[in-house]
Amino acid sequence: MENVSQFDLNASLGLWLERLVQSPHFRNENVAEMESHVRDSVTKLQSHGLSEEESFLIAIRRVGSVGKLEPEFAKVNRSSRNLILHGVILSFFSVGCWILWALLLVPRIFEKISSDPPPLPAFTRLLIGCRDFLGVPPLLALVYCLYVFIKKSDVRPSWKRFLAATVGAILLLAFPIIVAVLLYFVE
Amino acid sequence: MLTKELVAASTVPLVLSVLTEGENYGYALIQRVRELSGGKIEWTEGMLYPVLHWMEKEDLIESEWREAETGRKRKYYRLRKEGRKALQEEKQQWMSVHETLTKLWKMYPSST
Repeated sequence: MENVSQFDLNASLGLWLERLVQSPHFRNENVAEMESHVRDSVTKLQSHGLSEEESFLIAIRRVGSVGKLEPEFAKVNRSSRNLILHGVILSFFSVGCWILWALLLVPRIFEKISSDPPPLPAFTRLLIGCRDFLGVPPLLALVYCLYVFIKKSDVRPSWKRFLAATVGAILLLAFPIIVAVLLYFVE
Repeated sequence: MLTKELVAASTVPLVLSVLTEGENYGYALIQRVRELSGGKIEWTEGMLYPVLHWMEKEDLIESEWREAETGRKRKYYRLRKEGRKALQEEKQQWMSVHETLTKLWKMYPSST
């Protein structure tokens, strides 16, 4: 009998593997190993006289459902250290930004308690006006951390990169703020 | 067919033992176990890989991607010194269970 619908092993295997690729719990290397396994299995089953399609269906059935494999792969692929360090850095960064925000309150407080307050320099006034924008960097950092969290663990960026970026950001923010505060007291 | 619990307990010693025959890749490991058990030990094949990766993390085995004679790449697993040590311990434990059960079943043949 003629084959009515032509079975395409590569296409079917690709479709099946795509579900593993989409899952954050399978590393790219795991996907490659599963592909190698299924291909070996199909070759073996075909040598017993099964058609390519039959072999493929049995092979993936023997591998087990993706839903059942996922938690097992998740357990072994969990690299919690990198994620925890991202969280710790995020917390420190948020506290750092909050301290800078609080620092900008100092001239205002000083103005209130002193009987004859000198006028605020323009630069200091400008930064005090913008201080609520200091909430933006921690928010961006949080979004980045969420992005890191859903990444596959073997392509997940290292916490070192995040640390470098946040320390850089804090220094860049701290410099003008400290200048603005000092400027007030110098005058 | 083994129970889920027995599969979980026996996979590591089985893998360690098959690897004493020499390095091997996942699919062939499964074939070897199926063949030696006369088909009585059937794994959900995909479940072997997280176990292999865990064993690698524990330094029991090591792995390497290599091109096979088919031209495709395969990941080969090899026993490490830690793995040989772990196998010795597993062996003692399994043997004591086996010996005890055998003695009991010899004493009371009617119970089996």
